[in-house]
Amino acid sequence: MSEWSIQTEGLEKIYGSKNKTHALRGIDIKIPKGSFSCIVGPSGHGKSTLLQLIGGLDTPTAGRVVIDGTGISNLSDSELSEVRAEKIGFVFQFFNLLENLTAIENIETAMIFTKASRKSSRKRAFELLNLVGLSDKLNSKPAELSGGQLQRVAIARALANNPEILLMDEPTGNLDSETEREVMKCISDIHKMGKTIVIVTHSRDIASQAEIVFSVYDGRLVDA
Amino acid sequence: MRVIYLAMKNMLRRKSRFVFTLLGITIGMASFVALLSMGDNLRSEVAHQADALGANLIVMSRVDCPFINLSVLTGDILPESIPREIVRKIAEIDGITAAIPYLTLGVSIEETPVTLVGVLPYEMKMHREWAVNAGTFFTDDAESSVVVGYLTAQRFELSIGETLTFRGQEFPITAILEATGSNDDISVFMPLDIVQNVFGTDDYVSFIAVTLDDVANAERYIAAIMDIANLSVSTNEELLSSVLLILGSLNVTLQLIAAVALIAAAFGIINTMMTAIYERRREIGILRAMGSKRGTIFKMFILESGLYGFIGGGLGFVVGFVVSRVAAPLIEQNEFVTVLGSPDTAVVFSTSLLFTVLGLSILLSSVSGLYPAWRASKLTPMEAIRNV
Repeated sequence: MSEWSIQTEGLEKIYGSKNKTHALRGIDIKIPKGSFSCIVGPSGHGKSTLLQLIGGLDTPTAGRVVIDGTGISNLSDSELSEVRAEKIGFVFQFFNLLENLTAIENIETAMIFTKASRKSSRKRAFELLNLVGLSDKLNSKPAELSGGQLQRVAIARALANNPEILLMDEPTGNLDSETEREVMKCISDIHKMGKTIVIVTHSRDIASQAEIVFSVYDGRLVDA
Repeated sequence: MRVIYLAMKNMLRRKSRFVFTLLGITIGMASFVALLSMGDNLRSEVAHQADALGANLIVMSRVDCPFINLSVLTGDILPESIPREIVRKIAEIDGITAAIPYLTLGVSIEETPVTLVGVLPYEMKMHREWAVNAGTFFTDDAESSVVVGYLTAQRFELSIGETLTFRGQEFPITAILEATGSNDDISVFMPLDIVQNVFGTDDYVSFIAVTLDDVANAERYIAAIMDIANLSVSTNEELLSSVLLILGSLNVTLQLIAAVALIAAAFGIINTMMTAIYERRREIGILRAMGSKRGTIFKMFILESGLYGFIGGGLGFVVGFVVSRVAAPLIEQNEFVTVLGSPDTAVVFSTSLLFTVLGLSILLSSVSGLYPAWRASKLTPMEAIRNV
């Protein structure tokens, strides 16, 4: 078992074939298990691209990503889906909950790809809503929830399959400072459960709470 | 939660679009059910008429138009072209148990056309399974009275003792037959001799129904009859199959009309599903990010389109069934098919038809959903998430 939860080796990403855009250039990072890391940097310099490559949402042009000792860059689409379902949870800036489902159903959607029974899925979803302090909102639809509540439901959904890694892209970017504190408290509690957390953020406050900070500038890692 | 639940939720998300798409498949399947059941009933009615005739061979004059055969089964009027002495000669052929002549003529009751059939009372009683509902059946061949079919009596509210006027002469109604489910129900009957006298048809009849003691040797009897006169002789099965051939063409036409409606419905589903994919790219991306495989996305969209088929097929069956019941009396007013169906038998509920309709509807909808589902499953998480 690797001591590193996430490793990247010479990671490169180039978009386009004629007009090439070098989004990432030779990124090498190592993120220990159970750590809380932040990726910071100006907009458009490759932070989100790095997160997406780590999470297996996209494939690198060169280099490789290793999750929990297993290289994922050459996996098939199906194998990569399995890795995402079992090992990685995602939280996006704009919550991205399914509008026609209730809070508890949104969490359950993350478990329809697993072999969990309906009963155990519902129990797990309820536990997670309780964890993020929304046990009274289980039947509320996204339109009935505040921004902070929506993001906490999204965090609960990301934890549905009990992944070791939680990747968050600007999780508080769409929230006011008070709600940001509410969400960060929730994230801090989850970190204490031993999860590896990686957050892409512009917020200095959030970055100051991280154990490791990676700064990306013009597609390169400038200090780590 | 199961994928099918997610598919159902998604399907109901845009309610007006759901209703209109469902209407498309419902109308398509309803027209399929209505037209198919009507076509099937025409076929079964023709087969029933052939049975009711109770003959092994039908002897008619030679005519150029093969469709004239249909008249024997529909009860429509045939020309009186066979001399009656031919009937006697045919009856004398060894192995022929009965040769029953029929003379069909057009008359009117309350200015509505009705077929009058001149028959031999004794032979009819012997060979047709007729039961009298009211009154007394002809007692001899020279009785100047009328026996009325069940539906004709109902339609014109005729009762025993009333008279019908043909060619200026009044004839009392002496009997009303029980319903037979055949074209006998919509005809009126008089003894052959009386009809020939009143209508001046000399000693001619329209066709002869022949019963054999050995059906296996029908060919031999056909040859024997043709030796007597240059007539058209068909076995009951030949007659039936030639009529069914005509109805088969009618059925194909009806099914083609239904097929057009179904194809339109299929394109409706494709359009709805493609729009849904465009609208749900972001959600597809989220599902993929959460670990959904391409197959799961494909399954979700196929299930959604299949659900349209299931619900639309069920509704279409009900609507089609109701429409065919409502349309049946209207169809019966058509001269061509007037006698092919009675109101009670025009529409037959069939469990196998229900399953056929549901199966076809689900299959059609699922096939319609194949391309949209494939397109959805080909979206990579990033392609979908970029639309966030």
